[in-house]
Amino acid sequence: MKIKIADIMIKAMAQTLADGDTVLHGLGSPLPAIAMHLAKASHAPDLVFFPVSEGLDPNPDRYRLRLSSADPDHFVGAKAVIELIETFDLASKGKLTAMFLGGAQIDSRGNTNLTCIGDYQRPKIKLPGGAATSFLTPLVKKLILWTTHHSKRVFVDRLDFLTGLGYEEGKDKEVTIITDKAVFMVEKGYLVLKSVHKDVSVKDVVENMSFAPIVGKYGVTTTPTSEDMVLIRNIDPDGIRFSEFEG
Amino acid sequence: METKLMGVGETIGLIHDGDSVTLSGVSMVRAPMAFVKEIVKAKRKELSIIDREPGIDFDILIGAGAVKRVRFAMLGLELLGLAPNFRRAAEQGEIEYLETTCGAITNGLRAGAMGMPFVPVKGIIGTDLLPLHEKKGTWRVIDDPFSGEKIVAVKAIIPDVAVIHVQKADKFGNASIEGARFEDVYKAKSAKTLIITAEEIVDTKYFVGHPERNTIPYFYTAAVVHVPKGAYPTACYNYYPPDYGFVKNYVSMCRAGRFDEFIERWLRGEEDEN
Repeated sequence: MKIKIADIMIKAMAQTLADGDTVLHGLGSPLPAIAMHLAKASHAPDLVFFPVSEGLDPNPDRYRLRLSSADPDHFVGAKAVIELIETFDLASKGKLTAMFLGGAQIDSRGNTNLTCIGDYQRPKIKLPGGAATSFLTPLVKKLILWTTHHSKRVFVDRLDFLTGLGYEEGKDKEVTIITDKAVFMVEKGYLVLKSVHKDVSVKDVVENMSFAPIVGKYGVTTTPTSEDMVLIRNIDPDGIRFSEFEG
Repeated sequence: METKLMGVGETIGLIHDGDSVTLSGVSMVRAPMAFVKEIVKAKRKELSIIDREPGIDFDILIGAGAVKRVRFAMLGLELLGLAPNFRRAAEQGEIEYLETTCGAITNGLRAGAMGMPFVPVKGIIGTDLLPLHEKKGTWRVIDDPFSGEKIVAVKAIIPDVAVIHVQKADKFGNASIEGARFEDVYKAKSAKTLIITAEEIVDTKYFVGHPERNTIPYFYTAAVVHVPKGAYPTACYNYYPPDYGFVKNYVSMCRAGRFDEFIERWLRGEEDEN
């Protein structure tokens, strides 16, 4: 079976996590959920896995990706009930180290909009909303943003609404952005290209953004190993991870 | 002790037009859908509905015209798409909406449960949500009286009614939530009136000797309604999974302009048989 972009993104997400990280994923988060399993099964066995389904450290042997990230099936075989509010308490104490969040619009500082396209009072598109974004983005040390639609529509000069904070001067905070084409990090307040995915050109990356990222030394995003792919396919035999790429 | 066991018909009288209402669960998990159906049947109007991350429950109430205001941190159907009625109503200006963020809404409910007028909440400062809430009077930036640092005070959320679907309850209103609890215990304790809907009515013996099973004790509860499959098509842990097919069909009917037809069939119980 061929390795798809979703799998490369999952591997890149997993690589942002270190052993001992305490990590939360929210609703509508199939790629982060698999990435957390992948990290925990490989280089980060002591990662503390907080899913929005509230079952601490879900059991990878029986975990199957579902259309809702809160599906109670994820709860079976978990070690404890951790109410979401408890992960927010941890964040307030500086003890939630990493969070995955989406971005309908992302700017050059890694700020995000998940609220609306157009004016808030009378939006052109009312998006589902930022969920934990406004609360958590200033509190976590590692913010991992993702989009499956790398485009000028997503990478904008100016957000229609500022839901989440990216770069914050003087703060110990690492902002990584993983797209279906490339990986970026925000350094000194600006987006820097870190790697492009296999078979993607830098031209393709840059031309599909409304602002120019800093392009210096960059690499090719690590492709998942065959061992990684066994885990990814075990967690998601039904290919639910691909559904985010549609539309 | 008197029984609080009621029929759905009696219980719906505890919700009035214009009330603020919060519902249990998140997304496609343990929303009190059977009770949502009764709210629609009873043609309640002008409700203010409030929840962290609701989904089809709120979308149906909005589509049915029961809602004046909605407060949420995220309202959608995850991988199954945007919530069609909410999206339309928001874009057309048919409802008032106030987006919030998970850490604020959960703590607002916790403040309500604690009997505190507000709680300080970290984060948030610098985002565009802050001025919206300051204008509405739901959040204020204050100085931490000890450190002097700026922090957001989130006003307590005290809903008129909370409807919480649980796995098991006794007739006096002792209730057991199995699996994920979300903010449901805080919702139950912050609301002025608490309605429990339950998959099973158990004898009080179920709790006596196992008090840890009692997530929401009787003295909080106003009414208990026995509703097997009361969360369907959302999930109820230990009982049934979410019916994703139902939600997909709902979305496609809404997109085809057939929401009214959906509602008629759903109220008659026909959609539930799929």
